[in-house]
Amino acid sequence: MKAARGQLPLANGTRRSSAKSIQDSKDSKDIKKSMDKPGGIGSGDGKSSEQIQLPQIGISEILGLVELLKSKGGREDIYKLAAELKMEFGETLAVIRAAELLGLVNTPGGDVLVEPTGEKITRSKISDRKLIVKEQLQKLSLFRKLSEFLNEKDDHRATRDEVLEKLAELVPNENAEQTFSSLVNWGRYAELYGYNDDSQTFYLDLEENN
Amino acid sequence: MTDPGRILFQLENVFQRFSLPQGDVTVLKNVNFQAREGEFIAIVGPSGAGKSTILRLINGLLPPSEGKIIYKDQPLIGTNMDAAMVFQSFGLLPWLTVAENVELGLEPRGLDRAARRKRGAFYIEKVGLEGYEEAYPRELSGGMKQRVGLARALAVEPEILLMDEPFSSLDALTSINLRDELIDIWSDRDFPVNTVVMVTHIIEEAIELADRVLVLSSRPGTIAGDLQIDLPRPRDKRDKAFIEYVDKIFSLIA
Repeated sequence: MKAARGQLPLANGTRRSSAKSIQDSKDSKDIKKSMDKPGGIGSGDGKSSEQIQLPQIGISEILGLVELLKSKGGREDIYKLAAELKMEFGETLAVIRAAELLGLVNTPGGDVLVEPTGEKITRSKISDRKLIVKEQLQKLSLFRKLSEFLNEKDDHRATRDEVLEKLAELVPNENAEQTFSSLVNWGRYAELYGYNDDSQTFYLDLEENN
Repeated sequence: MTDPGRILFQLENVFQRFSLPQGDVTVLKNVNFQAREGEFIAIVGPSGAGKSTILRLINGLLPPSEGKIIYKDQPLIGTNMDAAMVFQSFGLLPWLTVAENVELGLEPRGLDRAARRKRGAFYIEKVGLEGYEEAYPRELSGGMKQRVGLARALAVEPEILLMDEPFSSLDALTSINLRDELIDIWSDRDFPVNTVVMVTHIIEEAIELADRVLVLSSRPGTIAGDLQIDLPRPRDKRDKAFIEYVDKIFSLIA
């Protein structure tokens, strides 16, 4: 593999090293199969809010995935991708799920394929990327419901505890703390939500994008 | 970059030795090179080859044991206020917010509060961190932390941007994204810096980003190669010419 080759002999590699799990395929195959089921991954159509869970994945990783796929011609086998990245299969899948939730990729069969919105984001400048992510997030029912919830509040603000409570209601099977942290990270990137950890205040980011 | 600019700085017969209990260690041996304005230089070499030491010398944080650092035709004495550094481990202050971290280098450079705010906000937006102003480093992913490190360095509008393994604490995908966005920021007319020196141990990273690659051999570090990378950006790792550069640099080190 080229990537391994480009790594110098004495380098203390910081890459995650477990191609092992890729061969431990029983588990992985089950995951892979479940991905093919319709509705297995939140499609963002807003019909089934109980399906929507936010993966614990940062925006930079998602964008990196789309950029990598684009450099490979827009499509790659998921197993090959995990092997090349030297990432755990489950971890790779989590990034793919996150990108799929944002409508940037699709997963036909065992492949991951860049969607037109994903293609567009790779061609966009940093500020436009944020706008695209904002548009995509606004299609998700969890974000829509949360925005409604904040809109009903004074100053469009809620305490962290109030949001956690709301999340427990909207996504009862998920760890609300984890969902909250993803919400804050994605929300900040998209300039949709703001959060102040000193005052534990979560709010609708109403500042105009320029 | 197209036109070779004037010489911004040069290392002349630089030796660097450190005293250790076991005796003196020579880290750099007779290093000579010139950097022109507008160049993006990558220094590659194995760990322990003295790559980071070169950055500290250019930054004036360390005087050379022997030889000279010439900056704008003058010997460099003390810290170079025209240089700013991006660190591998981000170097953020955990008790300060994103905005406060970005504004950190501006007070010593004589900007008043309002000017610091304005300058900070401008570079926060450039690196895509608008919306994160009041976040603390603990709330950020590695990719976002390194964006803060980059914004802080850019905010001082340095003549030279020094980057010490800026992507190596990041996971593979995040570092792809940050390299891509760095090229985007760099090609922007608003980019305040035109000379960049980046240290990395990943050959492909050097070829992907730089105009020129200096290859450092190990213990003691000496310059084993100096290559111009004549490839249009964005660069494709699968490209034949790209692979030839990888092979060439690899053979210079191995």
